[in-house]
Amino acid sequence: MSGSTPLAGHFAPGTLPYRDGHIGVVELGEGPTVGYLHGMLGNPGVHAVLEELAAAGHHVVAPSLPGFTGSSEPDGLRNLHDWVVATSEVVDVAGLTGAPLVASSVGAMLALELAAVRPEAFGSMVLVAPFGLWDDSDPVADPFGTTLSVQRAMLTEDTTASAAFFDDPSDLPADMVVEHGVHRYLTRTAAAQLIWPLPEWGLADRLHRVSNPVTLVHGAKDRIIPASYLERWAGALPNAVGTHLLDDAGHQADFDQPAAVARIAAAAFA
Amino acid sequence: MKSIFFHLMPYPELPPDFPEQHRSVWVDIDPKLYDPTVGHQTYNAYLDQLEFAAQCGFDAVGINEHHSNGYGLMPSPNIIAAALSRNCPDTNIVVLGDSVALYNPPLRVAEEIAMLDGITGGRMIAGFPVGSPMDTIYAYGQNPATLRERYHEGVDLIRQAWTSDEVFSFNGNYNKLRYVNVWPRPVQQPHPPIWIPGGGSVDTWDWCAAEDLVYCYLSYFGYKAGLRTMQGFWKKVQELGKETNPFQGGFAQFVAVADTEAEAWDLYREPAEYFFNTCLHVYAGYADPPGYKTPNTVRAGVEGMVERAAREATARREASAADAAKAGSAKPSFGSKKLSFEEMVEKGYIILGNPTQVTEQVHELATTMNVGHLMVFSHFGNMDPELVKMNTEMYATKVMPEVAGLFEDEYEDHWWPQADHQLAPVGSRAQ
Repeated sequence: MSGSTPLAGHFAPGTLPYRDGHIGVVELGEGPTVGYLHGMLGNPGVHAVLEELAAAGHHVVAPSLPGFTGSSEPDGLRNLHDWVVATSEVVDVAGLTGAPLVASSVGAMLALELAAVRPEAFGSMVLVAPFGLWDDSDPVADPFGTTLSVQRAMLTEDTTASAAFFDDPSDLPADMVVEHGVHRYLTRTAAAQLIWPLPEWGLADRLHRVSNPVTLVHGAKDRIIPASYLERWAGALPNAVGTHLLDDAGHQADFDQPAAVARIAAAAFA
Repeated sequence: MKSIFFHLMPYPELPPDFPEQHRSVWVDIDPKLYDPTVGHQTYNAYLDQLEFAAQCGFDAVGINEHHSNGYGLMPSPNIIAAALSRNCPDTNIVVLGDSVALYNPPLRVAEEIAMLDGITGGRMIAGFPVGSPMDTIYAYGQNPATLRERYHEGVDLIRQAWTSDEVFSFNGNYNKLRYVNVWPRPVQQPHPPIWIPGGGSVDTWDWCAAEDLVYCYLSYFGYKAGLRTMQGFWKKVQELGKETNPFQGGFAQFVAVADTEAEAWDLYREPAEYFFNTCLHVYAGYADPPGYKTPNTVRAGVEGMVERAAREATARREASAADAAKAGSAKPSFGSKKLSFEEMVEKGYIILGNPTQVTEQVHELATTMNVGHLMVFSHFGNMDPELVKMNTEMYATKVMPEVAGLFEDEYEDHWWPQADHQLAPVGSRAQ
């Protein structure tokens, strides 16, 4: 893997070539390889759930999807089909083909979409609050029709848990502050592209194709996807092997409760 | 310099406590606040005002498109243009404009403008905005990440549809059309002038400069605040080695004229306060969806016009909340400190005064910003129809003649319907 890209700053400790650009990647730990597909917060550098997965004895590889933290601006991604193909390429480029996977939020939605057409892309999956289902009687909230500070409060129960994404280090040079701001904006843009205006693209009709064992995790205080969706997913997936509702965790439970998510993953992948 | 009487068509009867009781005038404004009877009266009153402006001799009348908006009752500007087209036989109509990405396919815009150009005999100006985030992203569910690409493809399709003399296929990323064939064709050839209303995107400056399109800054915050934006555009024009022809620029300005300055202060206070404190009560969460701005604009730190409106409303709201907290009030409220009429005038949001004073300020606006097309808001807020009439007439008769000659000798307006190509009114329009 190549070194850091000056534009990505601390968001991308490493990069991998991808199409005409690159993707950011975080890699750490030793042991069997586990993939991590990020959620709306991307991979803001080496973050806690990656460290916890590594500490549990895994070689963790966490690529940033196109447009997210540390990756080049996406080109040619206009619809969900484009994104699924891109995710498939990213999985291969990152050397994650067939590996067990932890995925969160928008990353979990893409993992399911890819698994529906290419089940061999992953082994077992631990999915944290996937997008992709919609219930009119209990709708998913809009994380974009709001201010940035409110959006931050919607993403994690403890807003300090997302500091690596939202707050720049105090010693970051001024030009990097600007670039970090741009990367944050592009990351939020990429997330919006995947779930705007409603995060429902017909995935329910494709879930019967997902044969991978799936362990589901949901924050009890998820302010974007109601906790009731945990059981909806469990009922919709043909091979759901476990559900975990985590107290004191919001939408990105992998940021609020990284140790708990890593423990669940270690058990699922054992 | 051309003066265009521009109307936003605000709903005039929002309740006095609207800012305190409601989150936003745009996107999620309470449907129950709309009274169809008021709407009926309002549409007809506003059409009367536009027609009156045309009779007074304004160079054009102008309208725009908004959705789910308490200060803009024109989801379809082309319907208003159609209503005007028969009763304003000698006036040009500026539709500024049709939010291209919201039409499926955008060919509809090419067709409707061509129809209007046919009815008016070649008096249309076609504006193509990206559209505000509130209109495009929130009210119409467009994806912010692809909106601009979709918009540019739509503009490209319309231009090709107007200029091709063959039936052709259009293979876009968002529009797949086997047969493109606009019937009717516009009277103006190759097509009506194209104006681009912008809100501060640096990439729009680049595009308008490169393609020789009119860049219009439709600001609500006056010429003093709009100067930086217009300068940004002209800098791009200069960088390309092109002429900084003021007719390639447009700007919008609230204007309040009376016989005396004192009278103007007295007459225009209420409608100005209604507009700036009630109509611009926009929730900040709708102002900056990620992806709406280009990375270049984010990097340049340029703030869009509606973003500014929402930010200022939020700042006033926070100041009001702080005051309430100090006073020990625990009552939740969306309300905010009011922008004073004095501030509006001092900051240049509104050009106010007697005809001489207004003329001086309009002159200053035009020359400092280098704009040859001025969109004049003679109506704003909940202005009484008689006052609109007076304001319109005074501008047309006492200000416009003094500024009409600006730039006309030095520059040619390539972006205006050419009189020698227009068709004379026919049928009952001729009477």
